[in-house]
Amino acid sequence: MLTRTSPSHRLLLRLLVAAQLLYVLGVAGAGYATTAYGQHIWLGTQPVDLHGLQYESFVRLRYTAATAPLTAWHGAAAPQPRQAVYVLLAPGSDSLAAVAGVYDKALTPSPGQAVLRGWVTEVYNHTLGLRYNLERYYVPGDSPLRLGKTSPAVRVRVSIAPWGQARIERVELLKPPIGAR
Amino acid sequence: MSRKFLDTESPAWVAEGLITEAQRARLLARYPPDAVQAVGLLPLLGSILVGLSALSVVAANWQRLPTAMRLGLLLGSLLAAYAGGEYFLRRGNRRVGHGLLGLGLGLFGASIILTSQLYQLVGYDVSGLLAWVVAGVLLSYLYNSQVLTLLPIVIGVAVQTYCTQALGLFSYATIGLVALGSGYRWWRRPDTLVGSVLSLSLLWQVALWVALSHAKITWFFVPAMLIYAVGDWHPTRAAGRALQGPALVAAYLFALGLALFGETDQYADRLRPPVLAYLGALAAVLALSVAGKRTRGNLPSLPDWLLLLPGFYLPGGLPLAVATLVVLYAHAGSVLARAHRSGEAEQLTLGTVLFVVATMVAYFKLTWAFLDKSLFFLIGGVLLLSLSWYLRRRNASRLAAGAATVAPGAAASLPAPENPH
Repeated sequence: MLTRTSPSHRLLLRLLVAAQLLYVLGVAGAGYATTAYGQHIWLGTQPVDLHGLQYESFVRLRYTAATAPLTAWHGAAAPQPRQAVYVLLAPGSDSLAAVAGVYDKALTPSPGQAVLRGWVTEVYNHTLGLRYNLERYYVPGDSPLRLGKTSPAVRVRVSIAPWGQARIERVELLKPPIGAR
Repeated sequence: MSRKFLDTESPAWVAEGLITEAQRARLLARYPPDAVQAVGLLPLLGSILVGLSALSVVAANWQRLPTAMRLGLLLGSLLAAYAGGEYFLRRGNRRVGHGLLGLGLGLFGASIILTSQLYQLVGYDVSGLLAWVVAGVLLSYLYNSQVLTLLPIVIGVAVQTYCTQALGLFSYATIGLVALGSGYRWWRRPDTLVGSVLSLSLLWQVALWVALSHAKITWFFVPAMLIYAVGDWHPTRAAGRALQGPALVAAYLFALGLALFGETDQYADRLRPPVLAYLGALAAVLALSVAGKRTRGNLPSLPDWLLLLPGFYLPGGLPLAVATLVVLYAHAGSVLARAHRSGEAEQLTLGTVLFVVATMVAYFKLTWAFLDKSLFFLIGGVLLLSLSWYLRRRNASRLAAGAATVAPGAAASLPAPENPH
C-alpha cells in the first residue's frame, strides 16, 4: 500500500476512474439499446394522480396488469410476497397488454407475447398483487402530464430488452378518456 | 499535548527548574498556535456553500435538462472530484485529497442510480450497484486513508439493504466483497474504528439474510461468531477485540433477552433450529476460535463463548430463565476474574457493569411477582447500592495490589528504581 502518490499509483487511479466513466456510459448504452433492440408493449394504467407532481418529479403509475387472478399462477409452490416472478403478457382487444400467466421460472414467450419480470407484493384470496419496478415515472419537462390535467388515463410504452431489462419509453394520454379504444 | 496546556503549565516548569526559559521559548516555538488552521477553514466553508448552490440549481431543473447534458454533468463532476483529489494529494494535502476522492466515489454511485433513472431502466439484480462496491474496495487499496476504507463498507450496507428490501434478493457478491475485500484491507492495516464498522456492517447484512430467508434467528450467531473467530486470529490484540466487539454485544443482548422474555415457550420455539446442524456449525466455529486463541496466546478470553450456550433448547419457562441467568453471572464473573488478573481498569468497569446488570435481571425476574412494588424498588435499590459499594472497594484494593505486584518486577529491570515499594 502506497502512502505517497507515485506515477504508477496515479496510473492505477486513472484506470479506475476510466472504468467508472465507461461503466456509467454502459448503463446509458443499455438504456438506448433496450429501446433500439427491445420488444415494445403498451400497458394500461388506472387514472394517474398528478397532485404529487407539485412536490416531486415523478408520478406513481398503477398498472392494470398489477393485479392478476390467482388462477394465472404457474409455480411449484404457492406464491410468496416479495417473490420474483416472470409475467407473461399478451395483447388484449384494445392493444393494451394483459396478464396471461405468472410464472416462478423464466420462459420463452410465443410470438406476439412478452415476458416482463416483476415481484409479488401481496397474495389475496383470489388475486395476486404484482410490482414491476416501473411504477415510478419521472415526468420529463415537456410531457403533457406537466400540463396539469386532473387524473388523466394514460397508456405506457414499455421496452423489454432481449436480456430482460425493461424501461418506460414514453407515456401517452388516452385522448378521449374511453372512446378511443 | 495542546498548545494551551503548554502555555499555562510551562511557567511552572521553569520556576521548578525542570526546563530553562530558553528551552520554554523553543518548546512554544515548536508548537505554533492553532489560529492559522481556523482561518484555513474559511475557503473550505465558502466552497462548500458555492457547491451547494450549484447543486440546488441543478437539482431544481434536473427533469428539464436534456439527456446528454444530464449525463455530461454527472460524468463531469465525477471526473472533477477525482482530478481534484489527485491534485490535492500531489500537493501534500491528504485530508482534502482523500475527501475529494471519497466524493468522487459517491458521485459514481449517484451516476449509476441517476442514469438508470434517466432512462427509466429497471434492474432485476444488484449487478448495477455492485460495481459501486467493487470501485470502492479497489479505491481503498490505493490509499492509506481511514475514510476511503470506511466508504466501501458503508456502501456495501446500503447496497445490500436496497437489494433485500426492493428486489427481494440477498446479494452474496456484496457481502463477499465487503468481507474479503475490505476485510483483507483491515487485516493488513488494522484500525479499531474500521474493525468495528466492518463487523457491524457484516452483522447487519447477516441479519438481513436471516430476515429474508425466514431462517430461525439463532442462525445469525453462526456467521457472527465466525467474525469473532477471525478476530481471534489477528496478530494485534486491540484490532481483534474491535472486530469482536459488535458480535459479542449481539450475543450478550440475545442472552439478556432470553433471560427477560424467554419464559414463554411461544418465543423460545422460534429460536430452535435443528439441533445437530446448529450445534455442529457452532462447534466448528468454536474450534476455529479456540485454535486462534491458543495460537495468539489469548485463551483466558474463552469464557466469551459462555454467551453462546444454546439455553433455548431447554423447555421454556422458569428453567430457561434461571439457566440463562446462571450463564450471565458466569460470564460477568469471568470478565471480572480476567480483569483482576490483568489489572486493566476498563475491563474491571465492564465486568462490574455486567455483574450489576445480571443482578438486576435476576432480581426483577425472581421477585417482581412476589413483592409489594414499593418494597421491590426499595430492596432493589439497596441491593444495587451495596453491590456497587462492595465491587468498587474490591476493584480499588485489587488495582492497588496489582500496581504493587507490578512495581518490583519493573524496578528490577530498571537501572535506577525510584520507589520499589
